[in-house]
Amino acid sequence: MLPSSAPLHEALGLGGFNFDNTRRNQVLGAQGVAAPRVKKTGTTIVGVVYKDGVVLGADTRATEGETVCDKNCEKIHYIADNIWCCGAGTSADTEATTQLVSSQIELHRLATGKAPRTITALTMLKRKLFQYQGNISAALVLGGFDCNGPSLYTVYPHGSTDSLPYVTMGSGSLAAMAVFEAEYKDAMSVEEAKALVQAAIMSGINNDLGSGGSVDMLVINKDGNTVLRNVVRPNERKFRKAGGYSFPKGTAKVLTQTFTPLSSLPIDVTTTRSPAAMEVG
Amino acid sequence: MSSIMQYNGAAIIAMAGKDCIAIASDKRYGIRNQTMGCQMKKIFQVGDKTFVGLTGLATDMQTLDQKFRFRSNMYRLREEREMSTEAFANMVTSLLYEHRFGPYFCEPIVAGLGGEDGKSPFLCGMDLLGAQVRTEDFMVGGDCTEALYGLCESMYRPDLGPDELFEVIAQCLLSGVDRDCLAGWGCVVHVLTPEGVTTRDLKGRMD
Amino acid sequence: MSSFAGRELLNPANVMEASYDAGTTLQQDNGLNFLGKEVDTGTTIMAVQYDGGVIVGADSRVSTGVYISNRASDKITAVDDRIYCCRSGSAADTQAVSDYVRYFLDQHRMEYGQPPKVATAANLFQMLCYQNKNMLTAGIIVAGWDKEKGGQVFALPIGGALMEREYATGGSGSTYIYGFCDAFFKPGMTKQQCEDFVTKGLCHAMARDGSSGGIIRMAIIDESGVERKFIAGDKLPYGPL
Repeated sequence: MLPSSAPLHEALGLGGFNFDNTRRNQVLGAQGVAAPRVKKTGTTIVGVVYKDGVVLGADTRATEGETVCDKNCEKIHYIADNIWCCGAGTSADTEATTQLVSSQIELHRLATGKAPRTITALTMLKRKLFQYQGNISAALVLGGFDCNGPSLYTVYPHGSTDSLPYVTMGSGSLAAMAVFEAEYKDAMSVEEAKALVQAAIMSGINNDLGSGGSVDMLVINKDGNTVLRNVVRPNERKFRKAGGYSFPKGTAKVLTQTFTPLSSLPIDVTTTRSPAAMEVG
Repeated sequence: MSSIMQYNGAAIIAMAGKDCIAIASDKRYGIRNQTMGCQMKKIFQVGDKTFVGLTGLATDMQTLDQKFRFRSNMYRLREEREMSTEAFANMVTSLLYEHRFGPYFCEPIVAGLGGEDGKSPFLCGMDLLGAQVRTEDFMVGGDCTEALYGLCESMYRPDLGPDELFEVIAQCLLSGVDRDCLAGWGCVVHVLTPEGVTTRDLKGRMD
Repeated sequence: MSSFAGRELLNPANVMEASYDAGTTLQQDNGLNFLGKEVDTGTTIMAVQYDGGVIVGADSRVSTGVYISNRASDKITAVDDRIYCCRSGSAADTQAVSDYVRYFLDQHRMEYGQPPKVATAANLFQMLCYQNKNMLTAGIIVAGWDKEKGGQVFALPIGGALMEREYATGGSGSTYIYGFCDAFFKPGMTKQQCEDFVTKGLCHAMARDGSSGGIIRMAIIDESGVERKFIAGDKLPYGPL
């Protein structure tokens, strides 16, 4: 019998985080095994309010330690048609957090029958991040256009927020802020704002090791949004060998070869067992 | 301090061709520098047109394979259709992110054919928390990714047919594991086309 | 990696990590751990009673380590029409607490049928700050005007004590102006005298305290309503040094 007060997914133990492995991982950590590196966006993300809207911008590099694991990722996340969110920090966190808020906003829109507001998305984000006390490492730039006009916020991993006419976040935020502090003007035109955002992101790409790739931008105003993906690609690969390398058939020595036609899915019941329990040491 | 991801060792590459994908792994199973066996299964077929390659801690690889198989089988029974590769990748992401604060030490690579016509390549790598990296060319995983990235960056060409794709992925993997103590000891390559799966075992160095 | 030492030191993300703590070694990883530091309003805030009302004032600097993440912030937050609070400590904590108090006061106003008292707001702040004292870094000054007792100031330092005062200061910058306040505060000042007192106190604190600065923001609260004022950074009566 399910407790009637609890939502079904909670009663069934679904939803939310699962801590089954936490203790095991702590023990492994105590035995001197380093935790693996996670995908981060050591990013430059920015936003600017202009005369009649908001321009958001981001670079496209994702890193895992020193390795660039995605040269062209998308860091400007969809919340609603009129609200978008740039994410810096642990990729999994920015992705999951914005997706969750996006679906909550859509449900809210359906329930109220009104266009969602930026402040609603902001409140949802800051509550979630505050609830997890900084353990969800998402640093966000939230921009939107609603019945109160354009608005722009930064959200920090611990759940604090700021509202400013121009903002930057991520490891390249200092480089980008330098450009903003030098060039920002009140009530810019959309073209001026786009040029400024582009210059700020380029500054991050060129001066911050954690940022790189191309420039993504997004304009939000009363007419909706315009996605400007890869507006500048300053780092295209050069000097590629013409025609590439080709290997004649049979270069690699094949020991066995089998062909399995589709729609005859093998039902795999094999289990692999190690002879003894593994030890770290 | 070595990472848990280097405990068992693995090298996996997935590549997209023209209406086909290939996914290849080494076969070594080791505990740190001691090799225990060379028949380790690291690539799992979870649907007609979906493969998942798992690198990282072997115990978590096998646990995750079981969880993936359970979920995609349940999906097939409930929906009476195959899970699309993209849906599978998203399911993997949510499963991994659910364990955000106690993760499985595993970095999956999902490869398959999908899209409207059912033959567009889909490639997706993930970190252990489920953050996706979607690419249109290739994806590498394991403990010698630096070497594999370099090889694939120079040897990969777009729009290869299944036979050519096989040769390229085989060369990338064999050269990559040559410089990795923790991976190697034979390789397996699966090439998926709309007709079926060709599985080849490769001869590699056994040292 | 010794050849990169210079570059690593120059990387602002690393400088941010190192912060003030001399015991902290510079991170030798890729310097992307800018997320570790909590946003802190190392601050100067004050609230002062005068004849007929109360003035709250604050600097505008918000820092993350040694980076000023907001140089024009508003640390004076309204929790009701005539009740304001000044926030110091963790930005996340104080924002969350004041959001709760504003929500409780909105409900209370509807049930009570008239504007809430300043003491009620202060008690709500104390309830939250004391009961969650292990989880919060929040130093708050509550000030406002109600028709029973006029202008009032309540100090709520970290830990959750609640003290009614004629004036209160808070934040890291307040240590520099204890003497100034002792010397120059007079009960029953006029509005103009009070405004000068607040401005002078704040600008001296901002000049000496590294984590206070920017502009001065003020709210003058009395029976007629609330007047918001700000003094630009280059128009301060004293400083920056």
